[in-house]
Amino acid sequence: MRATCFAKVVSLAFAVSATAMAADNDGLTLPPGFTATVVQEGQGGGRHLAVAANGDIYLAGRNGLVAMRDKNGDGRADETMKLGDVQGTEVRLYKNWLYVSDNVGVYRYPLKKGELAPTGPRQVVVAGFPMERQHADKTFALDPKGTLYVNVGAPSNSCQEKDRQEGSQGLNPCPILEKYGGVWVFDGNKTDQKATDGRRFATGMRNAVAIEWNPAQDALYSVIHGRDSIDTLFPALYNAEDNATRQAEEFHQITDGGNYGWPYTFFDTKLGKRVVAPEYGGDGKKLSDAGKYPDPLVAFPAHWAPNDLEFYQGKNFPAKYQDGALIAFHGSWNRAPEPQAGYKVVFQPMKDGKPSGAYEVFADGFAGDMKDNSPNNAKYRPVGLAVGPDGSLYVADSQKGRVWRIRYGK
Amino acid sequence: MSRTRPLTLLGVVAVVGCALAGETPPASAPQEKPAAAVDSRPPGQRLYARHCLSCHQADGYGVPNMQPAIAGGTWVKGDPKALALFVMTGGFDSAQRKEGATSHNVMPPFRQLSDEDLAGILSYIREKFGGGASAVTPALVSEARATLPPS
Repeated sequence: MRATCFAKVVSLAFAVSATAMAADNDGLTLPPGFTATVVQEGQGGGRHLAVAANGDIYLAGRNGLVAMRDKNGDGRADETMKLGDVQGTEVRLYKNWLYVSDNVGVYRYPLKKGELAPTGPRQVVVAGFPMERQHADKTFALDPKGTLYVNVGAPSNSCQEKDRQEGSQGLNPCPILEKYGGVWVFDGNKTDQKATDGRRFATGMRNAVAIEWNPAQDALYSVIHGRDSIDTLFPALYNAEDNATRQAEEFHQITDGGNYGWPYTFFDTKLGKRVVAPEYGGDGKKLSDAGKYPDPLVAFPAHWAPNDLEFYQGKNFPAKYQDGALIAFHGSWNRAPEPQAGYKVVFQPMKDGKPSGAYEVFADGFAGDMKDNSPNNAKYRPVGLAVGPDGSLYVADSQKGRVWRIRYGK
Repeated sequence: MSRTRPLTLLGVVAVVGCALAGETPPASAPQEKPAAAVDSRPPGQRLYARHCLSCHQADGYGVPNMQPAIAGGTWVKGDPKALALFVMTGGFDSAQRKEGATSHNVMPPFRQLSDEDLAGILSYIREKFGGGASAVTPALVSEARATLPPS
């Protein structure tokens, strides 16, 4: 009797929790009219993701690529498949190819329409990027012609003689910029290119993880990770609160030949101006030479960690979202001991390729209560975005590899 | 952060208490300044917050993929001299490093800190993150420092 009662209570609890999950958007907060459902609970840390015309999902991750399919149309992936041996951040679909990358190269698999698994062996598109540990993910974008734009992040915080060492001065010129800290272009339709075959398209970018072709504008955009640790490296100039708030995450249109100012400068959100970095003679207020480097289109708060960018052209969201930018902010660590921030998806309205209003929080609540202000305790961290064929937004998480689908209306 | 607050508050209470019990403070003494100026956290904890916390975090668990956890690891509770060398040289360059092997960021060397300051930090992390491992003396840090090549 006792056992029966217990079993009933348990099954009732499950039923309630399943209903609650559907009703409460899995704990995420969204604008009115939007709902979030869980596509996949997670099979280990996710990164970026791509969604095919038939709704198949490809999730990149440090444990390899996972392909997912919803076979019965209930919104949840019921077939998952581990694919290949590429452990990295980027994944994109282009024509009949599935493109992926790791820290040292970009690769592709042939993909037949309607097939979940690739139909042939992996090909090398570009190989031979130097092996680095810091900012090493080779995220990339492809334009409609197949031009491949690869983010080659700088293996450095601010190009100090001794990286992240208190008081160490900046190298001038910064030699890291010869091979890193910018975007290199390749022909995405060609195989077996070497990293050294690429042409430097833009420079002065510390790490442009969130890089995206904007089809409405026919131009490349990125939200660039700003620098860390102005207070611990230069304690006479900056305190912990300055470090937590002043170095913008910079949203730019990336143009051929552009230079975005790293490591010599950063955009200071307190002054609303670009300042000289302390490693290069900055004193906390000395401004960068006017016009030398562009101001960001939007200066997002320090350390929020923009990890993916998507321009919305789907048919599901209300009209104001058309051609606007959705940005996944992975969330801060370097704001400590100040409260951590970010851990959300933000919407930036855009018109004619320029911001047309203030950004707004689109999806939040990923991190949970994050005990001890520790990123390690974040429940989820948004890291990847993709728009599906029906206009749904898919969001991937790096803590568990969870994937959500966010839709407007029923 | 949350753990440091009660201590800071205690400090404020202590300062106010002393002021009330002692002579009348000068009339020009600003009311709020002493609270901000007094940091009654033990020196090791204060120095950890100043030099280590943003990477390894208040709970010592680091940041996934970026900086390793030190809490519960073998370094903090192991040989204190090896730990002192690890911190002074920047663990990243140490041939013995294992815990940081999957982390992206480099650890800078901290040999610029005094023996006293390093002993304070090491004692704090051993106590808090190393299961109450023994304190480290400035003399032991000095001994470890003597084995380093000149900077």
